Amino acid sequence: MALSIHKGMYESSLMDRSQPFRYCVATHKLPEIILVIMGQKNSKLRVTETDRAVLQLKRSKDEIHKFTRRTDSLISQERGTLKQLIRENPSAYKKDVKVRFLLKRIHYQETLLQQASDQLINLENMASTLEFKLIEKQFINGLKNGNDILTKLNREFEKENVSELMDNVQDQIAYQEEIDGILSQSIAGVNDYEDEIDKELDQMEAEVLAKELPSTDHVAPIQVPQTKPEQVSKPEGEPEPEREREREPVALLS
Amino acid sequence: MQPLPPIYSFPPLYTRQPNSIIRNQQLNAWIDLILQYARENKCWTMAKTGTSTADPKFNIFHNESIQRSVSPMFIDEIWALMIKQSKAIVNNDNNNNYFILWQNIDSWASLILQWFEDSNKLNQVVTIYELSQGDETINWEFHQMPEPLLILALKPLCKRNRATMLKDEDGAPIAIKVI
Repeated sequence: MALSIHKGMYESSLMDRSQPFRYCVATHKLPEIILVIMGQKNSKLRVTETDRAVLQLKRSKDEIHKFTRRTDSLISQERGTLKQLIRENPSAYKKDVKVRFLLKRIHYQETLLQQASDQLINLENMASTLEFKLIEKQFINGLKNGNDILTKLNREFEKENVSELMDNVQDQIAYQEEIDGILSQSIAGVNDYEDEIDKELDQMEAEVLAKELPSTDHVAPIQVPQTKPEQVSKPEGEPEPEREREREPVALLS
Repeated sequence: MQPLPPIYSFPPLYTRQPNSIIRNQQLNAWIDLILQYARENKCWTMAKTGTSTADPKFNIFHNESIQRSVSPMFIDEIWALMIKQSKAIVNNDNNNNYFILWQNIDSWASLILQWFEDSNKLNQVVTIYELSQGDETINWEFHQMPEPLLILALKPLCKRNRATMLKDEDGAPIAIKVI
């Protein structure tokens, strides 16, 4: 009877365990993640909107980079020709329109270059800010995911379920104790068993002595009441060893 | 320019050898010379005639100091073998040019991947121009690699699903994202 009740409880506790299984179902995306890690699926390689934005930024950065290089080489080239013009006409080069024009052009190119490098720095800053923001986004996502899982896990620990589970556990423990009791009874504790053996031996001894005693009892009542006990005991001879035997067990018992 | 090994000044090298065993050695000697020149001078492309794009005055098949040059027929033979061994690739943008691969495409791919890992560029968009011309690759051997060759070298990464190419409006790859 008790066993069958406990069995039923065990089954109900199994039913409670089906909830962690539901959690497993919720994370059925796991194999996909493993696939991505193994490189079987390239869903992680998707190009996102932010990637596009960064790309746009980097492309303009590259363009400015190209422009600065071009302007740089142009300036050094024009400086070269300017120096040559000065060398060719050392006396009147200051009045030469061509020389003046060339120098103005160089100055203009230099301001352009300055602007371009400023823009380049801006773009680079922008790109690194974007990259950092992306990392921040990942950080927030990580926190969010962690929180989601934590709430999900906490939901598994609903008070009712937990108390029910604890009750079940207690029942199981009680059941186990009951079984332990039954098992130890059937085996019979070693000490108890020895005691019982002793007891039984005593009982048997008592029985044996009880059987032998009546013979002396039979003899004694007839002759002891007589006024001459010495005379009686001497001719018979037999009762004396019996008395000795009577004493021995007494000594043993004590 | 680093001097080429003594064999470069060995006149018989410039005449096509009739014996096939010797000719094979001759061809391999030429390939080694071209690869060595390209590596030491960072000569990414070479004209079919042998003129270096890194130094237009230099033609590897023409040795002025010993007054020898390789015949056009034999030059074609050398190029054909180089292409067969994947040590040269025809430049699709300019058919008179060959890309010289002193490292094979896969080694370039792993070198570039290493750069991405070393400089923490994983999961970021990096333009091909940036890879080739950017300041961050200056100390790497693939710095200044021509963009078409760079795209070829990045393809193995895409195939291994380590990277994806970002294309511009015309569908030409302009950037890469490595994970």
